Amino acid sequence: MSARQIGRRLPRKEDRRLLTGAGRFVDDLRFEGELHVAFLRSPHAHARIDTLDTAQAAAMPGVAGIFTIADLTTDGVLDIPPFFLPKEVEGREIFAPAQPVLARDHVRQIGEAVAMVVAECASLARDATERIVVTYTPLPATVETATADAPGSAIVWPEAPDNLCYIHEIGDAAATAAAFAKAAHIVERRIVNNRLIIHSIEPRAVIALPPDSDGRQTIHTNGQTPHRVRDKSVELLGLPAGSLRCVIGDVGGAFGMKNMIYPETLSVLWAARRLGRPVRWPGSNGEGFVTDSQARDHVSDAALALDTEGRILGFRTVNRANLGAYATNMGTLSPVAGIPASCGPYRIPAAHVQVRAVLTNTVRTDVFRGAGRPEAINLIERLIEAAAEEMGIDRVELRRRNMIGPADLPHETPTGLVYDSGDFPATLDRAREIADLDGFGARRAESEARGCLRGLGLVPYVEANGGPGMTEPTDLITTPDGGVTVLSGMMSNGQGHETAFAQIVADRFGLDPDEVEIVQGDTDRVKHGMGTAGSRSLVLDGTAMHLAMETLVELARPIAGHLLEAAPADLAFEDGGFVIAGTDRRIAMREVFRAAHDPARLPPGDAPGLEAHAEFTPGKHAHPNGCHIAEVEVDPDTGRVRVLRYSCVQDIGLVINPMIVEGQIHGGLAHGLGQALLEDTRYDAEGQLLSGSLMDYCLPRADDMPDISIILEGTPCPSNPLGVKGVGESAAMPSPPAITAALLDALAPLGVHDIDMPATPQAVWRTIRNAAPAPQP
Amino acid sequence: MRFESPQTTKDAVALLAGAKGKGRVLAGGTDLLVQMKSGMAAPDVIVDIKRIPAMKSIKAEKDGMRVGAAVASAEMAEHAALAKGWPGVVEAADLIGSTQIQGRATLAGNLCNGSPAADSVPAMAAIGAKARVVGPKKRRDVLVEKIVTGPGKISLAKDELIESILLPKRPPRSGDAYLRFIPRTEMDIAVAGAAVSLTLDTKGVCTDARVIIGAVGPRIIDVKDGAKALIGTKVDKAALKAMEAACSAAATPIDDKRGTKEFRKHVVGVLARRAGQIALKRAKGSK
Ligand SMILES: Cc1cc2nc3c(=O)[nH]c(=O)nc-3n(C[C@H](O)[C@H](O)[C@H](O)COP(=O)(O)OP(=O)(O)OC[C@H]3O[C@@H](n4cnc5c(N)ncnc54)[C@H](O)[C@@H]3O)c2cc1C
Repeated sequence: MSARQIGRRLPRKEDRRLLTGAGRFVDDLRFEGELHVAFLRSPHAHARIDTLDTAQAAAMPGVAGIFTIADLTTDGVLDIPPFFLPKEVEGREIFAPAQPVLARDHVRQIGEAVAMVVAECASLARDATERIVVTYTPLPATVETATADAPGSAIVWPEAPDNLCYIHEIGDAAATAAAFAKAAHIVERRIVNNRLIIHSIEPRAVIALPPDSDGRQTIHTNGQTPHRVRDKSVELLGLPAGSLRCVIGDVGGAFGMKNMIYPETLSVLWAARRLGRPVRWPGSNGEGFVTDSQARDHVSDAALALDTEGRILGFRTVNRANLGAYATNMGTLSPVAGIPASCGPYRIPAAHVQVRAVLTNTVRTDVFRGAGRPEAINLIERLIEAAAEEMGIDRVELRRRNMIGPADLPHETPTGLVYDSGDFPATLDRAREIADLDGFGARRAESEARGCLRGLGLVPYVEANGGPGMTEPTDLITTPDGGVTVLSGMMSNGQGHETAFAQIVADRFGLDPDEVEIVQGDTDRVKHGMGTAGSRSLVLDGTAMHLAMETLVELARPIAGHLLEAAPADLAFEDGGFVIAGTDRRIAMREVFRAAHDPARLPPGDAPGLEAHAEFTPGKHAHPNGCHIAEVEVDPDTGRVRVLRYSCVQDIGLVINPMIVEGQIHGGLAHGLGQALLEDTRYDAEGQLLSGSLMDYCLPRADDMPDISIILEGTPCPSNPLGVKGVGESAAMPSPPAITAALLDALAPLGVHDIDMPATPQAVWRTIRNAAPAPQP
Repeated sequence: MRFESPQTTKDAVALLAGAKGKGRVLAGGTDLLVQMKSGMAAPDVIVDIKRIPAMKSIKAEKDGMRVGAAVASAEMAEHAALAKGWPGVVEAADLIGSTQIQGRATLAGNLCNGSPAADSVPAMAAIGAKARVVGPKKRRDVLVEKIVTGPGKISLAKDELIESILLPKRPPRSGDAYLRFIPRTEMDIAVAGAAVSLTLDTKGVCTDARVIIGAVGPRIIDVKDGAKALIGTKVDKAALKAMEAACSAAATPIDDKRGTKEFRKHVVGVLARRAGQIALKRAKGSK
């Protein structure tokens, strides 16, 4: 019997090279004769460019070229458009400004590239940017999300005097209004989902090679979506289809931020073509702060209607979502995609959401770990906390009263999701057990003895990923030595695909995971794919592999029959091989694969080789769910908050590799904890980014993290045959409200009822002081 | 740019004195190299002092412990007598940066860099540490708080350097402590810092105290009212409270993105009170 591979805590195959410094990142690559790029970037968040003189810089020895938007436009390079447009409310038109590859006449955010220098070495290129003479007329800026669409705010785009990109609505406004009209209790809150600077350890980077003798170019970059880079670059540069190969090696973090086509992707490709030499741009950490897409930045006026028993009657919210200065890539999608998750695991009869996407003079925002679901979950959970407090009902009891039970499934939310699996009340109970709620009183007393306050927050959640409209292809190719090569259109950027995907195939075919090679990140080898985003790699590609394996079994059957001298129909596939039913005569798949490449062992007339292709198009979303419990301690004298305990129960369906899953939960929690407590993105009124380096932007580190108890328990996913639900973004969703709820629980004795994220020491201290003029030390 | 590694203090001073243009001493380089990389400093001569034996040693002297100017903070933390006698100074030096930084960073470098937020400086000033300043003609022993005159500015002449720092011998029943506040738990610039040194008599009454706060003004602040609040008391709750209030009142911080004025004034008091409690415990623990 072959060993099961699914469910094993197999150490990651990729870690040996990553931990020994053998990882292959863009900046590790060197090409003969390469040129180096530096961008002159705007010091203003909003200004008109009056003059731009490159003559002096261009005359510097070693400068190969200095380019402005005029050069790119002459060559037909297009601006980067939005890849998604939501439905606009009636009577309005969307205004979604595309982003020019270099600034055209105006700059509208800090750090916008104004000119591109290409030179023989990197420092020379940087020096040359300083010899470019630009005169600007600074213009007033709009920065604040909450007031961007109010009269009097500076106008970012003359085409949209109200600074609105779009207004989008979902749910039933009339039914929701009726629900609020008959409510016994209404809670209203302004809830801020704070802006985040995403930050990857490996900065974005591009190296473009010049066209080869066939006119084909290669781009080496880091990212999540090799095929999108290929297809969109070709489209926006006006190149013939098939003329670009995108290669992505190891990726040092992405989180959604590398899901994009950035101006640098296009300008560097264009420069290599123009100059006929390899051109490299390894972005720097500092550039990333002002050029990588940022995230979240929603200000919501949200409300919950309840009856006298605390049963939820309706939910409504008006979300102002700050897109920044341009509406490109998926920036337009992020504020609407996750909204359906705002009903949580609760029975909510009526809901209405209005999203007002505002344009401002800030760095563009886009999808980031959760892409709208963390924002949505934060809204409903903060409202429930507030309702419990105002109505004097226990917080857990209030949730339980409204919770969808297993017997209610499938359940359709008024926001359009259909939950099909999970036992939300059981998950909640299990979480309470592992978090040792009974011991909380003693722990709180112990904290108080040290002059500290302790609080607990609990958040159950359901999310949705991998839905209809997505199709992922995969190819399984057997090798002469009996292994399998998987051509995967996903792009691992820390998720451990090389290991987890290999486990799926090895499990089925009785192979060692090392005998399964996962190929990603080369569009010449893997022809199509969606790339990795939205927790869906396993749901889509894992399932496609599962389907391809079924095909492969059937294609292998005649070969196995030939080898066993039995009728194919008499063979049963089990434990990684074929057996003649009712006998102990069997052949391992590894042997069948080897034979498939050996003409001497194949059925007469069969051509050597054995491979299978499959595509998976989910009919509906997968719904990972869970319950997270945070316990925090506050030092009321300094406002410092520490997360001391964190427990979660996750229902993510079939678990391929628990260790990798736990790693994803750790990472997701780090992001959630950073958002809740540390990460404070600040612009001043002129649109200057004040938190523009790691010195001023407080990214969480290992020592900010608590130990985490994780239980993986749940039900297989009904909407894909592999039974997987996805986990990559999960912990980033419930953790901000769980930590905030714990903090408010701790501060309740001081009369604190509300606090915005991030609850930095200073913010906590100020909140305490404002709530109670003379707090006891 | 010239790079020199002299073997003696005399040669080092001669190199500084003879430098055409700007000469800079290189100790651990954890400030200087960062400044050079970012283009903030461009010395003509760099004088590396790590090859000078007298600057690499920790030596007990009649008056106290002499720490060479090139001794890294990690070496201090591993020096048992130093850690026992001057725990506040050692814990402050031990807060600098990360393990890697601590393998290089020095007390003298921390001092001469002139940052208002330098962690070891309040701790050194609290115990009355003295820098041995050597020039071509003479050497002088200068109280640490006289070295820094403003942000990034020091009182050393162009041809002078610090050879060592003396941590004066502690009277019986003395204790010192340093605490800082940063938004996270390590590797950050202090939003506020406070050092307290105190000495008790046999009855437990405070006979001498120094309270120094950092990062809440252009340079460190010697809070005399804070010390006064402790002297003559048993360093009880009320005395500590009064000292806390004196520190908050003495602080002259600015509003910046790292902290508002009012928060820094408040927190520096809290830190001073807590450092006072630790110093008291240490004073009671020692003979
Ligand atoms: C990642 C990182 C984290 C840091 N964290 C902290 C922190 O938490 N707290 C903190 O206070 N600092 C911190 N620092 C700053 C720095 O590490 C300290 O100030 C350190 O003590 C400097 O010592 P050094 O020996 O490296 O000085 P150097 O860089 O060698 O020198 C600093 C300055 O002093 C001058 N100088 C050095 N020695 C002498 C001498 N003997 N005589 C005359 N002039 C001299 C140099 O010319 C230079 O101007 C950090 C730095 C980094 C890079």
